[in-house]
Amino acid sequence: MSVGPDPVRDVVSPYDPVARAEDARLRADARLTGTIADFFLDADARLDDRTRLMLAQVLGAIVGAIEWDIRRHAARLLAGGGATQAGEAMLKAGAGGVLDRLTRAGLLRDEELMDELIARVRHDLIAASLPVEVAEPDEASLLVRLAGVPDSVVASAASALLAAESRRRVANEQGSVGGSELPAELHHRLVWWVAAAVRDGLKSVTRESDRAITDAAQRSLAAHDEGERPDAVATRLAGALDARPNELPAVLVESIGDRRLSLFVAVLAHAIGIAFDQARAITLDPEGDRLWLALRAIDLDRPTIARIGLALSEADPRRDIEAFADALDAIVSVGVEDARASLAPLALNRDFRMALRALARTDRR
Amino acid sequence: MSVFDPSIESPIAHAIVAPDGSLSFADPALVALNQRAGGMRGAPLAVPQLATIARLARRLGIVVSRGVVVADDETDVDLWVRAQPDGENVRLTVSGWREIAAWRPARPSPDTQDDFHGSDTDWRWETDSALRLTFVTLDAGPKHGFDAFALLGQPLTAMFSLDAGADGALPILDSLARRRPMTAQPARLRSSGRAVTLTANVRHDAAGDFAGFVGAARMVLEDAPAPAASTETLSPTFTSGLDKALRVPLARIVANADSINAQADGPVQGDYADYAADIASAGRHLLELVDDLVDLQAVERPDFTLVPEPIDLADVARRAAGLLSVRAANAGVTITRPALDVRVPALGDFRRVLQVLVNLVGNAVRYSPRGAQVIVTVTRTQTHAVVVVADKGKGVAPEDQVRIFEKFERVDPSEAGGNGLGLYIARRLARAMQGDLTVESAPGEGARFVLTLPTDPARH
Repeated sequence: MSVGPDPVRDVVSPYDPVARAEDARLRADARLTGTIADFFLDADARLDDRTRLMLAQVLGAIVGAIEWDIRRHAARLLAGGGATQAGEAMLKAGAGGVLDRLTRAGLLRDEELMDELIARVRHDLIAASLPVEVAEPDEASLLVRLAGVPDSVVASAASALLAAESRRRVANEQGSVGGSELPAELHHRLVWWVAAAVRDGLKSVTRESDRAITDAAQRSLAAHDEGERPDAVATRLAGALDARPNELPAVLVESIGDRRLSLFVAVLAHAIGIAFDQARAITLDPEGDRLWLALRAIDLDRPTIARIGLALSEADPRRDIEAFADALDAIVSVGVEDARASLAPLALNRDFRMALRALARTDRR
Repeated sequence: MSVFDPSIESPIAHAIVAPDGSLSFADPALVALNQRAGGMRGAPLAVPQLATIARLARRLGIVVSRGVVVADDETDVDLWVRAQPDGENVRLTVSGWREIAAWRPARPSPDTQDDFHGSDTDWRWETDSALRLTFVTLDAGPKHGFDAFALLGQPLTAMFSLDAGADGALPILDSLARRRPMTAQPARLRSSGRAVTLTANVRHDAAGDFAGFVGAARMVLEDAPAPAASTETLSPTFTSGLDKALRVPLARIVANADSINAQADGPVQGDYADYAADIASAGRHLLELVDDLVDLQAVERPDFTLVPEPIDLADVARRAAGLLSVRAANAGVTITRPALDVRVPALGDFRRVLQVLVNLVGNAVRYSPRGAQVIVTVTRTQTHAVVVVADKGKGVAPEDQVRIFEKFERVDPSEAGGNGLGLYIARRLARAMQGDLTVESAPGEGARFVLTLPTDPARH
């Protein structure tokens, strides 16, 4: 996100040259600070252009969708109650400016929110770049096959994943989202921020407008179904599949070859007993060390690990396939039990993990 | 002669890379490529991209397939490389061999040609290799009256009923058989019965196999007139069926007959070895016919076009001569090709120009007496690049000079080999590239076949 304009500017008369000069100086300062921070940014931490663009698109689309949900519903409530003008004001005042307002306030720098969104964008970009691998010619691809199995729990979860991934793809391509597809907690947080920003943009705030915004926000919260997210659907499918250790290599390799990265992540998470977001984080991590340990923990052999590593490297330019090839023998030599033991921290309760992470961060300060 | 069609069977070269990174065996094309990159026998593989892939496959212990662009002299060549570890060695299989001008960006892989965001597209769909729908634009459902979610995972035909084209053929079959984009497949939406037109690109997997369609659908206005059918064209179903049904068995017959003839599995009575040679030769003839019929169907389509790109006509001529040098040597004919430093820029489709020249040089070799010369020269006029293939055969009588460019006509009908389609296809190809193919000859004095192509204004 770029450095936002100074709020002071909004009240400065455009015809006051002295104030404008001062304004310009402040902006130049802010810009310089941003540029310096950008220059010293660690190359590893820097987003590549594709990811940056898509991240901006997704964030904008999510905030925009929630904003319009709230505005529309609040306006309908106001107009329905006879306050037509207030309803129109709800639609117009500061319309489309919520993203800027939240950025300026620094709220969108929320670590959990950005962690989720960056991981989601990277996941989708990598999934779309994975090389397709046809397991058997003339045989339907993995997910399609699963959607047709007699076990109705597996079949319905597979159909749901096909649908959820199609929805996500359309959203990514058209830059519009149907819902935020965020975990409930983050969605909750974001909805109230957006509601606050909508209110902030109103020229006159009344009790009625507050009530309308509140109702609209609550409606948006009620409509959010966490279980429809591709991650949740993939997790459901992985649970229904409950792949046995001897089936795991085939399922993992085939889900990568079918470019269903979410299924790969979910099956991996299910097999080693960690949360989807944990498994996704270690799958997306370009160094991959934790992923190799996880694959060893489920006793995958050298060729299977090599195949997974190669496919991920082809899809993610941040990965170093040569380093992976160098390390492969060492990875394979890790014992299953050792690998499991070293992954134990990942399996801790989520809140416990977050608390430990927060603690470690304050230690470093 | 679809050996030059990249999606079907581009020339494939094999090599074995020894543990020390050197080539312990390689087909001539790879030996040459390696030498031009500065490599030597016994020294490590000098083409860095190939060496990297071979090393990676050895270290990972699995097959690594990748498309690479390799510098070869002054041009870049687009290659598809497959490296398979085999004990201590790595087997390389290199196909593609498509020359690209150095300054152009690499051709996007079929998998990245995903977008059909054209404004005339009503919705998009994708399938896997078994033609099951894996993606359907969701907002098209309510607009056109189908349930996109319910269709996911269903066969493509659950969404559309496919109709035959005006010529009675199904374009999708041709596309599947030849692994090339599907154009204008008429269909009806099952939910509403409304007419749509389907187009699609083929998605390939890492091994180059068919991995599904990436397609688009366009609603057809019901009163739009059906495209006029050309009665002359061969039905694509017919040729694709022919292609599928004959190519594999014929190739097997040829291979088996060759190995009997070579007495690979032990001594065979002389007569039988000779019969086997006859069988192999007849099989090859039939294979060529299949290739030509498939090409014929392509060049006769009303919308057949070629995208011209800058090529070096002298280089193509040298390659064509090189490809036929073995056959020429067997026939006791020498081919004189343009000198290595000659360059004649032209605009054309590399593979198709090569195909035309291979046909011309092949004919010249076929009709030349033992000990004769076939001379390939390249020149440039103000507006055109010209390549002349001259032989000292029996020539073509003036009254035959039109006839030989007709379908199923031959320079000498009594002569064995050839099916009467080569020159017809060659001329159609030349004209599709805004060039031409003509013949100058007098009986008894040999023939000069002249291929002209537009020059590349950028390289003047």
